[in-house]
Amino acid sequence: MKKRAFSNGHWVALFLTIFMVLIFVQMIRIQTSGHAQKLETWAEKYGYEVRTIQSERGYIYDRWGHLLAGNKEVYEVGVELRYVRNPTAIATALASITGADFNTVLGLASTPYVEGQSVYITLADFVDASQIDAISKLKQEYETSNRFGEDPKLPTLRGLVWSPHLQRVYPENSLASNVIGFFPYRDRENARGFFGVEEKYNDLLAGTKQKVMVALDPYVEQEIPSAPPGASLVLTIDREIQAATEEILDNAVKKNEAVSGTIIVENPRNGEILAMASTPRMNLNEYWTYSDVFTSGTTYNKAIGQVYEPGSVFKVITMASALDLGVVKPDTQFVDTGTINVGGINIFNWDRGAWGEQTMVGCMQHSLNVCLSWVATQMGATDFYKYLEKFNIGHRTNIDLTGEEVFPLSTPGDPTWYPVNLGTNSFGQGVAVTPIQMVQAASAIANDGKMMAPHVLKAYIQNGQQYNTNPTVVGVPITSDTAHTLTEMLATSLEDEASTALVEGYRVAGKTGTAEIAINGQYSSNATNASFVGWGPVDDPQFLVYVWLEKPKSSIWGSVVAAPVFSEEVKQLVVLMNIPPDALRKSISGQ
Amino acid sequence: MTTRNENRASRKPTKMKLMSPQAFRQAPWRVQIQYVGVFMLALVSILVIAGIYLSISGQAAAAGLASYANDQKRQDLERQIADRKARLALMTSANVMEARAKELGFERIDPANAVYIEMPGYTGKFAAVLAPPPGISTTVEPVIKSTYRQSLWDWLFRGINQLSASVGGSNP
Repeated sequence: MKKRAFSNGHWVALFLTIFMVLIFVQMIRIQTSGHAQKLETWAEKYGYEVRTIQSERGYIYDRWGHLLAGNKEVYEVGVELRYVRNPTAIATALASITGADFNTVLGLASTPYVEGQSVYITLADFVDASQIDAISKLKQEYETSNRFGEDPKLPTLRGLVWSPHLQRVYPENSLASNVIGFFPYRDRENARGFFGVEEKYNDLLAGTKQKVMVALDPYVEQEIPSAPPGASLVLTIDREIQAATEEILDNAVKKNEAVSGTIIVENPRNGEILAMASTPRMNLNEYWTYSDVFTSGTTYNKAIGQVYEPGSVFKVITMASALDLGVVKPDTQFVDTGTINVGGINIFNWDRGAWGEQTMVGCMQHSLNVCLSWVATQMGATDFYKYLEKFNIGHRTNIDLTGEEVFPLSTPGDPTWYPVNLGTNSFGQGVAVTPIQMVQAASAIANDGKMMAPHVLKAYIQNGQQYNTNPTVVGVPITSDTAHTLTEMLATSLEDEASTALVEGYRVAGKTGTAEIAINGQYSSNATNASFVGWGPVDDPQFLVYVWLEKPKSSIWGSVVAAPVFSEEVKQLVVLMNIPPDALRKSISGQ
Repeated sequence: MTTRNENRASRKPTKMKLMSPQAFRQAPWRVQIQYVGVFMLALVSILVIAGIYLSISGQAAAAGLASYANDQKRQDLERQIADRKARLALMTSANVMEARAKELGFERIDPANAVYIEMPGYTGKFAAVLAPPPGISTTVEPVIKSTYRQSLWDWLFRGINQLSASVGGSNP
């Protein structure tokens, strides 16, 4: 029998071998063909995506941890043009659910798909989660009845997509809006904070923004950098005190028909601003109403941004300087004849009257311009202005808020200074300050002579750690004894005149101010700035309050319109700050 | 002088000794099986290595996708946390809380009528401490283990090096 050259096994082996060789050849061909090279080019082109990693904007809290500015989740809604089947259905859905304009959406959704050019179009942004839920539900319903959108007669939302992102939100709406500022979140690429701490600490809050190439190939080892959130801020503001202060201010402005108003509450011991209210204010969630609220150049925060002649509240600085220099004492006698000539100009009292023999306490109590002008002349211009410099008048306080203004102080030698300025400046005319400058200066008197830097940032949280800010002493313009003496004088003068600034159970010190406003170069007696600066409790000051009402109509006098506002503010403060009445406090501390 | 036969006899074992140590040739089917065996051994070895590669590549791809998904999930969670904080703040804002208090029948009192009562041991509110002070590290840096960074060859050479080091001792 003749043996076969190739057995069945050989044929099978040959077949398998050829098959394997073909597979191998195909593998080589796939890897090296022109199509493979094209694929490789595509992979290089589309293998990575550029991803913008935007830090979450930092939060803003009040001193107790109440959120004043945060971020909420909203959605961007758009269409992937390649998958759009029914633009009309998309426009109808968006118009009915989000309120978007039907024709605009229809026009955008009908844009023809062009590879590499027209791929995705945004239809709506900042859409709420509830609206997205409704869209999602509708899309699913349509998909059930018209799978893949194959039936052109039935509606489908294929191609409609949405992606979440964060939007700045202010839970307290307009509360402390003058302090916080706002973030125009609608400009997602270039938005930055405006005014207040949003602008001042924009770099801290914003964190970092970086663009990274992210590989879409899961084999590529890559740690996607996480962008740490921006730093969060803890303000010195007390939400409850701020709310009470704003309410008191709004009522005072309305009741007295004032053009505007400002109240600042500070802890004079450390310069922490507990409340800063100013009119007008706006809902920060609707920042686009800014130009409607702040018309014709109205200052965003008048507490720091508007200078004015403070009037008689400035006398506390003049008297503090004179006492510290030793020119006068509380019981120094002055005979008020109703006029004094300074630099060739006659200066009169607010009532054009002569008050006769007065002590310095009486001069402060009756707010005598003539007396304070005499005090200033006794000091002499050099020392008087040296003290004003010490009290930082004419310089910014550098409070950590954007928009602080300053009016330069004219001193001897300046072309704008005249000898009469020594007299008028002593009672707060011919000199302009912001409310925060007055608060800083007065803090020296309330705080044993140490003038504290006013600030609104209590702490910031960065990289998971809280950094507390430290109080800063910016100067010691007067001695502790002088501060105590003047505080006692002011408390006595309020008590002697039974001022409407007094608060039952609490001894406070303070001074009213009524400053005529210059209109067309002439002072008008009908238009005034009514102010009050005060602090308490006298033996242990824990709050300092500054009130300013601009052009009140009910009365032009600070003692009538501003002093009661101070009293009302203090009544709220002692409750909110848990300050016991003086008698009880002294019995508790064993005094 | 030797005879012809003697010469043959003396040569034959020498030739056999040179040609093959065995007395008989391997049967053809045995040779084929040996060839097939060697081929199969090589094939299996290649398949095993390819299998290991495939397995590791699969795991790496799965890990990469999981990492990507986790990153997305982390971002989603961060957004949700921010959103919940904002919602909570909206629900507890000063105006809303006051409105709720009024709904519950509470009234705002005149501060003048407030009575201060001393509560022994109560020291008042403390300012917000929302994070630990500097010096206490709380963040954990994400680290990709070296196991996920090395190739099969890296792993093999590293193992060999470790083995040789353990046998031969390490250099001073």
